[in-house]
Amino acid sequence: MKQSALNQTQRFSPITQTQILRNGGESPKAGAKKDLAPILSLTSLIDAFSIIVIYLLIGTQSGGMETDIPSRINLPTAEASSIIEEKTSIVRIEKGRYFIDEQQVSASQLGRKLYELKKASGKEDLPLLVQGDREMNYADLDPILKAGAEAGIQKLKFAVVPNK
Amino acid sequence: MKKELNFEINILPVLDILSVMICFLLLTAVWIQLGSLDVRQAIGDNSASGAKNPPALWATINTDNSVQISLRDIGQKMNLEYRVAASRQGIDWDALNMRLQNLKSQLPDLKTAIIRPEARANYGDVIKMMDQLKQTQISDIGLSPLGT
Repeated sequence: MKQSALNQTQRFSPITQTQILRNGGESPKAGAKKDLAPILSLTSLIDAFSIIVIYLLIGTQSGGMETDIPSRINLPTAEASSIIEEKTSIVRIEKGRYFIDEQQVSASQLGRKLYELKKASGKEDLPLLVQGDREMNYADLDPILKAGAEAGIQKLKFAVVPNK
Repeated sequence: MKKELNFEINILPVLDILSVMICFLLLTAVWIQLGSLDVRQAIGDNSASGAKNPPALWATINTDNSVQISLRDIGQKMNLEYRVAASRQGIDWDALNMRLQNLKSQLPDLKTAIIRPEARANYGDVIKMMDQLKQTQISDIGLSPLGT
């Protein structure tokens, strides 16, 4: 008689074997076996995994913007910070080099690039997220302020790590 | 003899690997929620002619870590000037915070501040200054570019 793969699996699965406690230490061959209690339930394990996965998914979606920050940049900390709600263009300063949305831009080109960015977005009140290392000098930030003023960008958001 | 085609899938090792992977991901993930300090920069000539300027606090961060505070347009003939000397660790944040609290209690309408750091001032200190001002309920903050 042919047996399906499912039946085979059901009969010989190690999970089925471990789910059965045998009465009084009897060996399986010694006589009729009696199930006492299930030890390992696959269903509860899958339940636990699903809960962990859902928890992780919810935990990572804080409603804020998701950004990648290079490990070599140590953002400053602040207590009175607010959550970044909308997706904004990012200007990163790395040792005197400037990156607009991961694209390197020279200091002299900043104003023109920001103007193009603002024009492409179509927003009159385009915000700009500035990421910089806390140890850098203010002189490194200055070209961004001047380029922003040149491009007509009023709203600047300085990325910080909330310290609460 | 007919070869058995059916085979069983061993789920326990798969579950082991999955749990190890989840533990690994949990341990290695960096859970940092990013925040921001918002400023609104003045561009061009925003002031309407003849309009009265709101009371404003101008804070200059010097290279020697001292902070010069000056109050403008507060309705008095003279501008008030204060200087917070540097401490050994850098800017004396406690003294500065106390000074800001005092000024805010004397001038509740004070909601505007301009930060004027020198070129070699530390960016972290500029952000901390903005943070202190926001904590003192001075919400409209601007940063002054160099050479102005």
